[in-house]
Amino acid sequence: MKPPPFMVGAALLFWGWQTGLLIPAAIMAALLEGARFVTVRWEFTDEDFSRLWLFCTVLLLAALVYSFNTYVGFSYFTAEARAPSFLTQNSAGQGGARTAIALFRWLPMIFFLFVAAQAYSSRQEIPRASLRRILSWRWKKADKNPLPEFPAGGVNVSYPYFALVLFAASNHSGDNNFYLFFWGLTLLTGWALWSQRSRRFTTLSWIGAFTLVIALGFAGQLGMGQLQGLLGALNPQWFTPIWSHRGSNPFQSRTWLGDIGRLQLSGSIVIRLKPEIGAVPSRLREASYRTYRLQTWYSGSGLETGDVPGRRRRWRGWSQRTNDLARPFFAPWFRRNEFEPLVSQTNQTTWLLLPNKTNTSRVQIACYLEGRTQDSQPVGLLPLPTGCGELDRLTAFWLSKNNLGTISAVGPGLVMFDACYGPGDTIDSAPLTNDDLDIPDAEKPALEKVAAGLGVEGKSRDEVLQTVQKYFQDGFTYRIWQEPVRFRKSDDTPLGRFLLTTHSGHCEYFATATVLLLRQLHLQTRYAVGYAVEEGSHNGYVVRQRDAHAWCLVWNDRTRTWEDFDTTPASWVAMESSRMSPWQRLMDAWSWTEFEFARFRWGQSPLRVYLPLLLVPLLGFLLYRILFRRGRKRARLATAGPPELFHWPGRDSEFYLVERRLAQDGVIPRDPDETLSHWLRRAAVSPALENVHGTLGTLLQLHYRYRFDPHSLAPDDRDELRRRTHQVLKILDGGN
Amino acid sequence: MHLTSRILYRLHRAVLWSRHQLQHRLTPTGLTVSAALVIVTVTAMDTDNTVAYQAFTLLLFLVVVSFTFVFFFKVRFLAVRSLPRFGTVGHPLSYRVGVTNLTSKTQVGLTLLENTLDPSPSFAEWMASGESGWKRARLFRLRRRGSKSPFKAARLRAAEIPSLPPNKQAEAVVHLMPLRRGALRFHGVILGRPDPLGLFRSFARLSMPQTMLILPKRYPLPPIPLPGTTKYQEGGVTFASNVGQSEEFVALREYRRGDPMRYIHWRSWAKVGKPIVKEFEDEFFVRHALVLDTFIDEPQDDLFEEAVSVAASFACAVLSQESLLDLLFVESQAYCFTAGRGLSHSDQILEILASIRPSGRKRIRTLESLVIDNAAIVSGCICVLLAWDQARQDLVKKLKALDVPVLVLLVVEEGGAKSVDPGPLPGGQVRFYVLESGRIEEDLAKIQ
Repeated sequence: MKPPPFMVGAALLFWGWQTGLLIPAAIMAALLEGARFVTVRWEFTDEDFSRLWLFCTVLLLAALVYSFNTYVGFSYFTAEARAPSFLTQNSAGQGGARTAIALFRWLPMIFFLFVAAQAYSSRQEIPRASLRRILSWRWKKADKNPLPEFPAGGVNVSYPYFALVLFAASNHSGDNNFYLFFWGLTLLTGWALWSQRSRRFTTLSWIGAFTLVIALGFAGQLGMGQLQGLLGALNPQWFTPIWSHRGSNPFQSRTWLGDIGRLQLSGSIVIRLKPEIGAVPSRLREASYRTYRLQTWYSGSGLETGDVPGRRRRWRGWSQRTNDLARPFFAPWFRRNEFEPLVSQTNQTTWLLLPNKTNTSRVQIACYLEGRTQDSQPVGLLPLPTGCGELDRLTAFWLSKNNLGTISAVGPGLVMFDACYGPGDTIDSAPLTNDDLDIPDAEKPALEKVAAGLGVEGKSRDEVLQTVQKYFQDGFTYRIWQEPVRFRKSDDTPLGRFLLTTHSGHCEYFATATVLLLRQLHLQTRYAVGYAVEEGSHNGYVVRQRDAHAWCLVWNDRTRTWEDFDTTPASWVAMESSRMSPWQRLMDAWSWTEFEFARFRWGQSPLRVYLPLLLVPLLGFLLYRILFRRGRKRARLATAGPPELFHWPGRDSEFYLVERRLAQDGVIPRDPDETLSHWLRRAAVSPALENVHGTLGTLLQLHYRYRFDPHSLAPDDRDELRRRTHQVLKILDGGN
Repeated sequence: MHLTSRILYRLHRAVLWSRHQLQHRLTPTGLTVSAALVIVTVTAMDTDNTVAYQAFTLLLFLVVVSFTFVFFFKVRFLAVRSLPRFGTVGHPLSYRVGVTNLTSKTQVGLTLLENTLDPSPSFAEWMASGESGWKRARLFRLRRRGSKSPFKAARLRAAEIPSLPPNKQAEAVVHLMPLRRGALRFHGVILGRPDPLGLFRSFARLSMPQTMLILPKRYPLPPIPLPGTTKYQEGGVTFASNVGQSEEFVALREYRRGDPMRYIHWRSWAKVGKPIVKEFEDEFFVRHALVLDTFIDEPQDDLFEEAVSVAASFACAVLSQESLLDLLFVESQAYCFTAGRGLSHSDQILEILASIRPSGRKRIRTLESLVIDNAAIVSGCICVLLAWDQARQDLVKKLKALDVPVLVLLVVEEGGAKSVDPGPLPGGQVRFYVLESGRIEEDLAKIQ
């Protein structure tokens, strides 16, 4: 089946338009459709097509590796291997989806060469033998004893390629041209079907049937969008973005409160620090939150799309449709989160967070940005020491902060920067009375009971803090596993059980309980997440995933700053360290390799730009093999020759020397289908053979007997043939 | 395990049936659209990052709308199939089917499809086939070795029928590629009509059972000097074959008691007045035994098919010479068929070979006794064997002891020639050749 003129070209242009690859698409379309006007054709053999397919396959693998490296990175899977959890699995899944989408988008380019070879080949189709080899799993060792096939004919792959192009065109989010894809697809599909329609039916029947399909298809795709939106509204957790294996999200933080079993966090290194001036900070904060509901902390803006002013950006996983549907349900809890852009200094790498602050310490921080924006750029929250006023040598594309002191960065996958900090001001906004004193109704009974037991009525802020600190230090223990609850009351909550029954839990329990307890005691507090910095390594410090920590921020009215207040027992560090894997050293070495590779990859070295060039020699070699292989094969055939299946008698007759000699002299060359006797009669008129004509006749008789007589030649006759031939050759030499 | 196998077997049959239905029901365009729908279904799940769900709905309703037209087609017709008697594996053939339109409307755009539902394997056959495939499978290889469908008998192409005016006949040419030897059974013909969008075919069926025999594949053989010399055949060709008449008439003589009535020469009796009978010359001619090893477990094994092809190649080559050929093999019982010198032709031998089935491993002694019984009258023996174990070596040893020249052709799997140790037997009267599956033709060419 040959497609109608310009249909594949139009599909390519449509694909280019939809995916933003219009220039390559235009070139490809021109090349493919140009074959109709160009008369030059190439003689591709079956083997050539197979090699071209191999070339495309290598290209596909290269694209897969490139895409995987760009959109996922191996760290997702190593994280999954080290600490399998819902988060890491979901991260890997999201990364895999991004890889696949990018790869699908490139498919028309990857397989273009194969289709172009068909267009410019003399056959105009791919031979079935080649397809059989291609479709065989074991390409190199294709079945030597296959089922028989019809001998003639081939397959025109234009229609499958056309379908591939349309499929590739669907791999975009459709933000800008939501319905244009549908109408473009409809038009091109209709074009293809029209050319293949049966003559049995009238044009009107075809139009009627296809119009029905369009109407149903359009209604169906609208319905699918709404269905997805409704599902999204059912549980926003399913659609929240998976930020990174560091697990921080500027809008919300789901805690593990109430989850039974052992908390699993891996020992993989996620941050590296190197103090330059002053001491290393004991904690690095990534985000802080105000509102606690159903074991999740919210920044107070969870349903917003996280638009960064000055640039349209959407956090992955939240579609506008989901938001629109979910907003009415959750609006009372959240308000718009104000992310403000930060402007770098003229050197493009210095970012002032607090312009008038005097920073007394400086630490170099290296961390990964493992989230992805809608346009697949790395994004993440920066772990910063409390009181950070300036970021130096930070090569981020975009930096923005919200009023909870969270800094979001869009940039390379790995950022290395200097954080300058000191006591005093922080970038957090002043407290809001309603939000920073908010306590969920479900938690109030337990908190009131505990607060009453503390007896801090009328005491100063510092005394209250000391009492609360002592309360948790004396009566609570750190524990990373929780037992299942046998008897649960209707108003029972995980936090209530922690405060009143178990008195043990991990840092999220302590931090959440502290924040809400202090709010119960009329102190404005927030919930902070980040990392504890405890472990030294060579000339710096490393932070592992298991060092993830949560603590409380308390507002100090006197200094008008937020202060860290951590009630988790100090033993938690030792307990976490005791969970070190026996393979920790090995994993650290691997982590270091990853880190060095990430430095190389994410712009720390200009060499990464040239990395794809490594593929060029390989692809060039393959192309060379395709284009020039036949010449090499001919040369090989000339020297070796195919093995003969049968030994034909008389093939060594000397008479052939005479024939070859006369052909070299250009006397009268023998035609390929001409018998020797006919050729000799024709050659007899040549003056060069005047002296040997009679002898040649005798020689031919002997030759024929030697060649075809079942009894062959007697030894004497065989000698005669040999002797006379040499005589003739001598005469011919003398003649020259 | 047994229950699981049963379920898998049912699943396998269902898959075969579905594939057969899809191949008939879907046009090439429909196949492309359906494949695209399956692929797009996967990516359509992600409605945030792709708009593939729009393609999904369009393709889905394309398929649904097209399929609804499948139920609206009725046509009365007659068909006559001109089927050749034989086909050969690997050799494409064409035949004509005459179709008569019995309606009052001109029928346009119809396709003729042959209904040759591949014979579904029995459970035992399927198990044997599956097990043999897995036995040779290598660890960590996704695709089983030799997993090409062992039960598919032929490939058939749909034939376009020219425009059919009312009550007129037109001919469609069907192209067929036989894939497996044996009987190819045609159940009937189907007239297919595409829907307006050209994705699905509606069917009108006509039962028309017919059978064609597919002969085994044959390889060209070099001029092979077959072993042995002429031997006295007691009673001539007649007794040699137990059928037919010897025509080597020598002279007339007087009747002796015991002479058969049919040898009486009536004219001479009338002339001389006493019974005269015809006398025949004792005959000497070359007679070969072609022994085919059928002792293999797997009914659809490629190795066995290769062995049959080799035997067929020799049968044709030997019968083109002035000699007799005894085909000896064991199936449900021991068989000996003789052909040559006017008894029967290579066609008959090929027909037998087309229908031959392997038997179990345990009855090789039956073949041995059959061969030894015939050893006295044969000039030489061509043994096509599937293994070179002790039992087969004993058979050859016994033939050697009886001074019968033997040509042993051992058919092995691809790459298996190196591991074959012929042992001390070859030499003298015994010639031994190994034929590798996949390169049988090359190996046969090396026989001297």
